[in-house]
Amino acid sequence: MNIVVLLKIVPDTETRFQINNEGTDVVWDDTIEWVLGPYDEYAIEEAIRIKEAHGGKVISVTIGRGKEEKSIRKAMAMGVDEGVLIENDELVTSDPTSIAKALAETVKSLNPDIILTGRMATDSSDSFVGPAVAELLNFPVVTEISSLEIADGVATAIRDASGRKEKFELKLPAVFTADKGLNEPRYPKLPMIMKAKQKPLDKKGDAGTPIIKNVNQLKVEFPAKKEAGSKITGTVDEMVNQLVDGLANKEKVL
Amino acid sequence: MSIAVFLESYNNKMVKAAAEAINAAKIIAEKTGKEMFGIALDENIDEILSQAGNYGISRVKGSSHITLYHSSMYARFIANAAREADIVIFPGTVWGREIAPQVTIKLDANPVSDIIGIEEGNVFRRSLHGNKIHSTVKADGKLVITVRPAVFDLPAETGGSAESEPITPETMDSDTLSKLAEILAASSDKVELTEADIIVSGGRGVGGPDNWPLIINLAEVLGAAHGASRAVVDAGWRPHSEQVGQTGKFVSPKVYIAVGISGAIQHLAGMSTSEIIVAVNKDEGAPIFKVADYGLVGDLFDVVPKLTEEISRLKQN
Ligand SMILES: Cc1cc2nc3c(=O)[nH]c(=O)nc-3n(C[C@H](O)[C@H](O)[C@H](O)COP(=O)(O)OP(=O)(O)OC[C@H]3O[C@@H](n4cnc5c(N)ncnc54)[C@H](O)[C@@H]3O)c2cc1C
Ligand SMILES: Nc1ncnc2c1ncn2[C@@H]1O[C@H](COP(=O)(O)O)[C@@H](O)[C@H]1O
Repeated sequence: MNIVVLLKIVPDTETRFQINNEGTDVVWDDTIEWVLGPYDEYAIEEAIRIKEAHGGKVISVTIGRGKEEKSIRKAMAMGVDEGVLIENDELVTSDPTSIAKALAETVKSLNPDIILTGRMATDSSDSFVGPAVAELLNFPVVTEISSLEIADGVATAIRDASGRKEKFELKLPAVFTADKGLNEPRYPKLPMIMKAKQKPLDKKGDAGTPIIKNVNQLKVEFPAKKEAGSKITGTVDEMVNQLVDGLANKEKVL
Repeated sequence: MSIAVFLESYNNKMVKAAAEAINAAKIIAEKTGKEMFGIALDENIDEILSQAGNYGISRVKGSSHITLYHSSMYARFIANAAREADIVIFPGTVWGREIAPQVTIKLDANPVSDIIGIEEGNVFRRSLHGNKIHSTVKADGKLVITVRPAVFDLPAETGGSAESEPITPETMDSDTLSKLAEILAASSDKVELTEADIIVSGGRGVGGPDNWPLIINLAEVLGAAHGASRAVVDAGWRPHSEQVGQTGKFVSPKVYIAVGISGAIQHLAGMSTSEIIVAVNKDEGAPIFKVADYGLVGDLFDVVPKLTEEISRLKQN
């Protein structure tokens, strides 16, 4: 079984961003630490578990800007067997459609049975790439899954959707996007970290697909800071009365 | 040129996030003079038609033949119905997020995901890096937009009605490759976190799963959804679907009540855009108080039962 995971390397969620003088972008300096996307870690873990249960290999595919190898080696230390890394500044900052097209083109040549992605990238929160790649390859897709079972070329996936739990059955090949709760990603162990350094990583400059830029950022800002209101202290009755009065009479939300 | 809105529905009723998407479409229509129309599919779309009409949509392309959700079939149907439009708008629900990218590819359009504001007909606000940065983007060409739930208000009610243009969905052999086999838990009275007006969330301070009725009862008297911090989810007290924050759900309800939650940056990332934030915490120095409009410094085991009692008394009068 060929299992492909799409890995986006993103700024660490703890990053404190600064905005450039023109207000047109955040400052992309060396204080930013690049890591595996938090949802992509669930995708990696699931891919490795499928390989362990059914055999085959796990191949990662990444489009990046030159900051990615360390994180891809981490994925390899978890159990990814091979990687493809397309380093192209223009592509990585282009529209999500060109990213999806480049990924679909690259993945096609890997003959996948299963493609796993994160449910969203935490930097851009597009939630676009998984279903778009599925559409481009004509594969069925289920997004935001919290459980996946594979038996005889049929996958059963479960996800939460708007207060419901939906269960899907799909014929492989298929695309799944991973939500939190799918599994508990493993920590790489030392021997695997050493081994990961030797695993094949195929670096390329592009995927031979068109680069589109129709969506352009005009400006960035920090969200308006919430003014902290007053702290309420006193006896329990006093505090509760003050709150209920505020919600009912000032805010008119009760 | 026109604006198409996917009127997502479940059990023949339009979902709230779709009504908010209509409002987003109206805002764009006002700025551009474009006409709007809806796209609906369900077993019976009569009620969706009247809901849409009341919100100011006068034309709906729809089908009353669909009994089962199926994303590639929905995507094909919506893409065909939306061919005449130059902007296609989806509610940013699980279904919307699953279908919109497929429609984008089919229509060779440009995606603008998860918008939180509209400045011009083709200039939108988005939130990046877990709500830490807001970005304004200009998008050219044919667009497919998803709208973050609970950000836009419901549209004004017009009392109007919508006319339907029936279309028959095509089925394809490939549809059998994937099917929705079963709805395992369908609680229609449960309020969905990302779509709720009021949310009560509990943190590690609640002490354990056995104490959760404290949170659920308060949510119930408020008609609210209930959520949790990651510490709670990681401890296995609550399911991950209830997690609010950077790696959970992004919410921005009218009222967010944080009970026994310290207010770590990753939690704030998911809820700090709420209109009114209430915090109950016994530690005066807890960071949650930096964003709280109403910060109650006290023991949650005293405050929450009393609060529940007072609100239920108020609601009964
Ligand atoms: C990559 C990454 C992603 C993360 N994503 C998320 C996320 O999506 N969501 C999230 O929530 N966290 C997330 N976290 C975790 C986050 O950093 C915090 O660890 C977590 O939010 C803490 O949860 P808590 O506030 O419930 O617990 P604590 O920090 O332990 O806070 C408990 C609070 O309860 C108060 N308390 C205790 N007893 C009482 C009482 N009797 N009465 C009143 N108050 C009481 C305490 O004063 C304290 O402030 C993430 C962390 C990382 C590294
Ligand atoms: N540049 C990229 N390279 C590889 N995979 C990506 C890239 N961008 C997005 N993905 C995958 O698609 C998922 C969703 O990303 P997005 O659609 O950007 O929210 C991510 O979690 C990754 O699995």
